[in-house]
Amino acid sequence: MLNLNQTRRNALGLIAGGVAALAAVPALAQDFPGGRGIELVAGYGPGGGHDTLLRTMAKILQEEGIIEEPLSVVNKEGGSSAVAMGYLNGHAGDGHYLMSVTSSHVTTPLTSNVGIDYTDFTPIARLGIDPELLLVSSKGPYQSIDDLKAAGKMLNVGGTATGSIEHIVAIEFGEQAGVEVNFIPFQGDGDVVSALLSGQVDFTIGNPGSARDFIEAGNFKALAVSTDERIELMPEVPTFKEQDLDITMSLFRGITAPGDIDDETRDWLIGKMKELSENAKWKEVYLDPNGVVPGFLPGDDFAEYLGQTQGIYKDALTKLGLLK
Amino acid sequence: MLDTLNQLAGGFDTILTPYNVTLIFLAGMIGTVVGALPGLGPSAGIALMLPLAAGMDHASGLCLLTGVYMGTMYGGRITSILINTPGDAPAIITALEGYPMMQRGEGGIALGISAISSFVGGMFGLVVLIFFAPVVARNAIYLGPPEYFLLMLLGLSTIVLLAGEDMLKALLMVCFGVLVSTIGADYISGHVRFAPVPEFIEGIDFVAIIIGLYGLGEVFHNLEQRVTLNLGKPSLKMSDYVPSRAKLREANGPTIRGSLMGTVIGILPGAGATIATFLSYALEKKLSKNPENYGKGEIAGLAAPEASNNASVPGSLIPLITLGIPGSGGTAVMLGALIMFGLQPGPLLMIKSGDVVWAMIAGLVLANVFLLLSNILLIPLFVNLLRGVQGVLASVVIALCVVGAFSLSYSTFNIWIALAFGIVGYLMRKNDYPTGPFILAVVLAPLAENYFRQSVMLGQGRMAIFWERPISLSIIGAMVLAIALTLVLRMTMQRRRAALAANEESA
Repeated sequence: MLNLNQTRRNALGLIAGGVAALAAVPALAQDFPGGRGIELVAGYGPGGGHDTLLRTMAKILQEEGIIEEPLSVVNKEGGSSAVAMGYLNGHAGDGHYLMSVTSSHVTTPLTSNVGIDYTDFTPIARLGIDPELLLVSSKGPYQSIDDLKAAGKMLNVGGTATGSIEHIVAIEFGEQAGVEVNFIPFQGDGDVVSALLSGQVDFTIGNPGSARDFIEAGNFKALAVSTDERIELMPEVPTFKEQDLDITMSLFRGITAPGDIDDETRDWLIGKMKELSENAKWKEVYLDPNGVVPGFLPGDDFAEYLGQTQGIYKDALTKLGLLK
Repeated sequence: MLDTLNQLAGGFDTILTPYNVTLIFLAGMIGTVVGALPGLGPSAGIALMLPLAAGMDHASGLCLLTGVYMGTMYGGRITSILINTPGDAPAIITALEGYPMMQRGEGGIALGISAISSFVGGMFGLVVLIFFAPVVARNAIYLGPPEYFLLMLLGLSTIVLLAGEDMLKALLMVCFGVLVSTIGADYISGHVRFAPVPEFIEGIDFVAIIIGLYGLGEVFHNLEQRVTLNLGKPSLKMSDYVPSRAKLREANGPTIRGSLMGTVIGILPGAGATIATFLSYALEKKLSKNPENYGKGEIAGLAAPEASNNASVPGSLIPLITLGIPGSGGTAVMLGALIMFGLQPGPLLMIKSGDVVWAMIAGLVLANVFLLLSNILLIPLFVNLLRGVQGVLASVVIALCVVGAFSLSYSTFNIWIALAFGIVGYLMRKNDYPTGPFILAVVLAPLAENYFRQSVMLGQGRMAIFWERPISLSIIGAMVLAIALTLVLRMTMQRRRAALAANEESA
């Protein structure tokens, strides 16, 4: 009985594989996408950052007539984006699959044995960056970087997950400013925000998106931002650099395609992403509400950026003892 | 107060259009069905509706989402009671008392009572949401990791109540649960634990475990024992569905207490509905005159957790709309939806987009009323449906479980997880190992672990953080008092029983 089932499954598998192989033959480049819809793959669940990015992107691409073909968002959650990476890799050579990527695209292959990394994919574009802010409570004892430097005790810092970019920024800040920092990882932005609101931590590292309203409402004060230049969203916040601290590190948001796609397809996709990034609706509906700073980088530049980012993470995670 | 009522009236003004009323009604129905399917809980239900809501105006879209959210809380109890397969985590406790009632042929009654408790709990939570949201949110944030750790400890202590006869077996199951819960990425240390394949990096999906343990485990056990259900022929006799006045009276106190518990715990962003149901079940068993009836279909043990389950929905919306902090999986998806609508979730949401938020709250009130009516009217349908398929129930349950497990992340991986835990569940039942302590440990152990580590980190290595803070000190005080009380009660009970036995012997 079991054997029979096994055989039948194998046979089915063979047939399915054959069909998949037929479907995977890349469409002729000049007519890409050739009337076929494009699947947008989110490595995390519905309602999360990846999902929101792709759904908003799909809506604007269609409404503004940038891409005529149907676009569908698919959630392949699991394994800190490893599952989605595996799924996309299974469609190597086919540009009808695009995936949203953030730092986990670089860090997950570093920290776990996934077997593939960012070089197995075709980077299409970086769409924007999420800078990190150093935030203090307006009611707290520390109102400037100098106050923090002069604290004279070990400071409690809140951020998400150990090994996250928040963690790396916090450690860098401690080293360069000469203060002892004690990083406390919380699960998600919400917990970090309440920890600062209630004064359980001395300062936090976080994105403009989750902090902006609290700054506007007078609860939080941003003391520094981790970009090269001040951001348009918060022109009054000085950079770390202006305050003699060499910290420029941000989370990125981008789009990648499977490996081995032909150049025409790649250029077509890059072109569409460029059109998207220049669209006023995109800024209005996605970038601004989410506090994401525009920072478009096409294909090769994005690939180079990914390489640099991997280097930064590798060094930082090794220093923190998370990589052997 | 008057201002609040005015704003609420404005909200009702927005939603009382034929389109919105129909939408809210449908949202509740969709939520009920989604919640009833094992594996699809509030997060999945809201997520499924996201694309649809995106095309609507803000108020209607949000009403659709919250209506579905509330609906899933009603729906979760249906499969718990009828086929012992909780649709989501907060419905686990419902199965403990609801399924035995079903086996006794009182499934309709169990559904009726739980629908009413759900309604009362939901309304209770809504009143608190409407009148006290800002005050509550301002104070809830002062609970930090030390307080949450103690709360989890309190939750874990209810293991004693779920243990059954053999304490040693219960403790073994707790250890097993803790072990299972350690699988996956640990955000505190940054390391990944026990993940041979990438699917394990985010840990085992807890819902896949309950689908296997309860749903499949029950089926395997029934097949071996050749249990044949006798649920009677499909009928429409009203007495099968409408709880008698005596039964309702039995559910009164527990429903009120459960509502209170659900609202309070639901508000805390670090706790949520599941622990609220466990705690209110524990409370009822403690207060009960006949605790030995628990696990055999006790109405109080069914009504209280159902009330707290639904009370926690408005409760968890409080930190979301006042601070932009999601307190549960469902509200985390709602947060994404708010952003998608271009509304800024955060401290300014009520100020900038108050009209939309009030419309959503008014929609929830309406949804809750619709849900009570539709759920009571639907009971005969569900019960008769089950009676119709009782001959092939095992296959139906297996099909639902497999589909439910698949839908967790749309991959076959979770089907294998559910199957594995189905076998575990079968073995546990066969050898009389209690499932309650195991599942409680799986849910609470990682939370307790993380809050404990965060607390010690916050205290920079000093344990004193647990008793230096006024709130955590009072929780410790309450716990010590509860334990002392229990011990004293148990001793007097034993003495009385011994005296009774001695009397009988001499007689």
